[in-house]
This record gives sequence, structure tokens and C-alpha cells, in this order.
Amino acid sequence: MHSYQFLDDIAVADLAFKAEGDSVEELFRAATEALLETLADPSTVGVTWERRIEHVCGALDELLFEWLSDLVYWKDAAGVVFHEADLSVVQKGTTWTLAAVVRGAPVDQTTQILHNDVKGVTKHLYEVKQQGMRWYAQVVVDV
Amino acid sequence: MKLNTDMRVNRVTDEVWEIPVTEKAGMLVPARIYATPGILQTMDRGVFDQVTNVACLPGIARYALCMPDGHWGYGFPIGGVAAFDTQTGIISPGGVGYDVNCGMRLIRTDLTLEDVQPKLERLMTELFRRVPAGVGAAGFIRLNRGSFEGVMTRGARWCIEEGYGWHRDLAHIEEGGCIAGADPSNVSDHAVGRGINQLGTLGSGNHYLEVQVVSSNRVFDPETATAFGITGQDQIVVMVHCGSRGFGHQVASDYLKIFEKAMRRYGISVKDPQLACAPFRSPEGQDYFSAMNCAANTAFANRQVITHQIREAFATVFGRSAEELGMELVYDVAHNIAKVERYSEGDLLVHRKGSTRAFGPGSPDLPLDFQKTGQPVICGGSMETGSYLLVGTDRAVSETFGSTMHGSGRTMSRAQAKKAIRGEQLQQEMSRRGILVKAVSMSGLAEEAGFAYKNISDVVETVDRAGITKKVAELRPIGNIKG
Repeated sequence: MHSYQFLDDIAVADLAFKAEGDSVEELFRAATEALLETLADPSTVGVTWERRIEHVCGALDELLFEWLSDLVYWKDAAGVVFHEADLSVVQKGTTWTLAAVVRGAPVDQTTQILHNDVKGVTKHLYEVKQQGMRWYAQVVVDV
Repeated sequence: MKLNTDMRVNRVTDEVWEIPVTEKAGMLVPARIYATPGILQTMDRGVFDQVTNVACLPGIARYALCMPDGHWGYGFPIGGVAAFDTQTGIISPGGVGYDVNCGMRLIRTDLTLEDVQPKLERLMTELFRRVPAGVGAAGFIRLNRGSFEGVMTRGARWCIEEGYGWHRDLAHIEEGGCIAGADPSNVSDHAVGRGINQLGTLGSGNHYLEVQVVSSNRVFDPETATAFGITGQDQIVVMVHCGSRGFGHQVASDYLKIFEKAMRRYGISVKDPQLACAPFRSPEGQDYFSAMNCAANTAFANRQVITHQIREAFATVFGRSAEELGMELVYDVAHNIAKVERYSEGDLLVHRKGSTRAFGPGSPDLPLDFQKTGQPVICGGSMETGSYLLVGTDRAVSETFGSTMHGSGRTMSRAQAKKAIRGEQLQQEMSRRGILVKAVSMSGLAEEAGFAYKNISDVVETVDRAGITKKVAELRPIGNIKG
């Protein structure tokens, strides 16, 4: 189970969201969906572009930051918006490994409902934490 | 007076307020905020917290400043100005802003509202077609790594050499549209990957292209207006607000990571991770400065290519060349940048983040035609309320490191604005008021509603009364393109 919500009162000029999940993997899914929705309505984006992405990090918060930043990078570098991302997050010893396949399509203003052109993920009020059995993240993106 | 801070804020004048160094541990200089009492009361807590955090940074000179359009930002407040000793001080991406050389450009025309009104729909459609905006939009110029390095090092000059503009445009761009010391070897492949396809694109957020009208009764200084090519009499002008897009942001992100590590090495501690910095004279500081200048030049080039497209659009719609339409560049000025400038303290690295350079008459950095007037200062308001053309003053040079406001400043979050109005509704309401809006994203449009911003006229009155810039003309929107 995972979910996200956009936050009203943080980052007046930009956008912020809170993501949560029953596991680290679910948290990553929630945060990914929030970022995809920030860029465009994923249901209006086809699947003609695909990219495999892998990251290894010692810290979970860094891993999420790098992953979300990767999505912003490919949005610009490939000129795409995203439909979905399949991902797994595995801990081995002291490192975390994310393996993902992100799918989307080139930007098309005639068929897609586009939202914000995110310029970057920021570390302002950024946090990843576990409370009880659930994982939470707060992310502010610069638009 | 009830303010959003517990700190003591002393009145210096009716437009200048000071927070003394005793209000926060580590402050090296006082913080000064330019605002009327009314504006000061609306400023968010972030302004007071952040401007005093900036006052703690090593090598800061005189004051940490915030302009009346100030609001919370990453590290430094938006509207922030801070100058650092070039030998002992720091450089900080948070003080430049992540959209390096986000800035304003104003183009005049000989056309009047009467000429344009019947063709406004066609003109806005043509502009919308020629100037890509919104998520992931790519420009029409295909660059390889070599030619993109030319953009990074030569900025607007590269555009002129490639036929995107007129040679005389360069004199009317801050730094001639090309800042020296840009070294592409200090720019990551990641940044190049994000920027190489974006030349000539507007972006989204608060960036826009606006067709505006200048009425004679809204020209406050006719002599200076004339020197700037502004005649009033329902004259049509075009304003562009955008920056270095994903490229500049990636440069900032790359160096924030480098600076986080460098700070430990140099023994610098900051009160907010977004204030990450390095000594200006350190290898890391110099590398960022040269990479930032690459991004600044790319932003000048971006606005130059957009200007070319605007001229082409007007020529197509009105059947006359851009020269025949009198489409001269009034000025192009950055409001997110760090530059070495000379003041009474000596050479200082002036960070302007959401703040505009405002040099007065006689400045050697201004072209001949602005020597008598001072520098044009372009301030964008919300898309519903209008914008202003101002002029720099000697007082700005002596009081605020040659700096002034840049826009109106937000008071409501994007999420709240979207809840208050739908984009389609706003578009219709603006159309009824004579403002034609073309937008890629309707939700993005709602986020930019006028009620989400301070009243720009109040902000302009503050800097005018404080004397750090003077009003020249008000510019009223009739057409707007947003990402």
C-alpha cells in the first residue's frame, strides 16, 4: 500500500509532496507517482520510450533523491514525460540498490495533459523516515 | 506592527528596516529589508530567517539585503542581495538561484494597440507556435557538444554570429550578453544533456512571454522613457521572462553536492543545507563560478533566440520586417546571478537572487545611450496586473550594491492557487478583460493567477520612494504565453 499528497503550505513558489508506503519499495513507488503526476497526467502519456535505471547508494534518502533527479534528467534529455515506472529496492549489507524501468513517451501537447516543468529536486525540508511500520518522504521540487 | 518573526526589526526609514546582529548567533553584519510597513507585514517568516542566515556567511560585506518583492527561497530569500569580499568571502549557488541568469528582456515596437488588437489572436497563435513552452519542450536549433560550448562561452554573441538577432542588440544586454570566464570543462555531461535541446524555449512556472501596451498616462518619466525607446501612446512592447532552464539548474545541483563536501574541508558551517558554499578563491569556488557563467551565457542566448522568434512572428503577422516595425531591444537584465563588481569596500562578489542590477547614470558598465539615464530595470508582475520599466540610480549603487527588486513576489502557494481557480476559468476571465492567454498547461496557468502575487505597484512604489530605482513606465498585458 502506498499514497501521496501534495502539500499546500510548503514552498510558496514551488511544489511539495508527502509520500508514504508500507515498505521502502512502496515509499519509492508513491514518491515516483507523485513526481510523474507533477510533470503530466500519466494516464494521458503513452508508452513508446523506455529506460532502465540502476542506482546503488549507502543512504536511502540519497537513493530516493538520485532516482527522482534521474527522472527529471530524462524528462529534459530525452524530451519525454512518463506513464509508469516499475521498480525494486533491495538492501544488501550497508547499501541500497534500486533497479527500475521507466516508460513514457515524447512530449506531445496535443494528446497529453501536461502540468509543471520540474527543474530539479531540492533538499529543502527533504526527509525520508520510518515511523512505526510505515515509511515517509517529504519532497520539494523546484518549478 | 505584527510581523512574521520574533526578531527585533528596527525602522531605518519608512522603506528600510534593519535586523541587528544581536538577533541571531553568528550574524556578521545586520540584515536590511526594503519594504513599506504594509509590505513588511505580509512578508513570510522565511524572509526574516533566511536574510539573517545569509548575514552569517563568511566574508559578507555591509548588510545582507532583501528587496520588497522578497519571499522564502532555497537558502537565500528570493529578492536577496549579498556581497562578499572576493579574497575572504564565499560563493553560493543558493545565492544565485538555481535557474542561473533567470532574467527579463523587453523589446519595443512602433506598433500601437490599434494596429495589434485586430490581429492579436493571430499574433499570439504565431508566437505560441514559434516559442516552445512547457514541460520537455525542445527548441528548433540543433546543437552538438561543440556548438553548445560556443553558446556557453559566447552567449548572445553566438546567436548574433548564427543570425539570430542584430549586432546592436548586444549593447542592450547586461555584460553585452557574454560574461567572460565561462569554462565548459567545469560543466557536467548531465547538465549538457539537459540543456542541449532547450535553446529558445520558455519553460514553465512563472516564466512567460507577454505582449504589453504602454499608455501615455502610465509613463512617469517621459524623458527617460524616450531614451529607452518608449513613446507611450498605446505603444506595443514585448516582455520575456526565462532563464537557463534545466541546464542552469543542473549546474547548481552539481555544485551543491561538491560544496557540501568542500565546506567540511574548509571548515565552513551554514544554518541551512541550501546555503552550501565554498570560498570564492578556492578551486571549487572558481569552478562553480566558471560553470555558472556558462549557464548565464546560455540564458542570454536563450532569450536572444526567443527574441529572434518574436521578431519573425511579428514580421509574419504584420507583413513588414522586424526592422521596419522598430523592434529594437530595450534591455536584457539578469535577476539570478553572481558578479564581481567594485564598491567602496573594493572588489565584491555580488549575489543577486530575484534581484536586478540597477546601475545609475555614468556607470562604465552601461552603453553610451544609457550613460545619461542610468540602466533600464525590467520588473515583471503577475500576468493579470502588469509590469514596470524602471531606471537605476546612484543611490542603488551606494546603498544596495547596485541592486533593486525583480518582480511582484508570490504570497500564495501554487497548490493553494490551483484550489482557488481552474485554469480554463482564469483564461476566460482574462479574455473578458482583454488579455489573451495561450498556455500549455491549464493547471500551470491557475498557479500563476494574479491573486497569488503581491501587488507589483506597491512593490515598485517602495523602491521608487527608497530611491534605489525610479519609475519610468507601467506596461499593461494584452497577450500572454505560458508553459
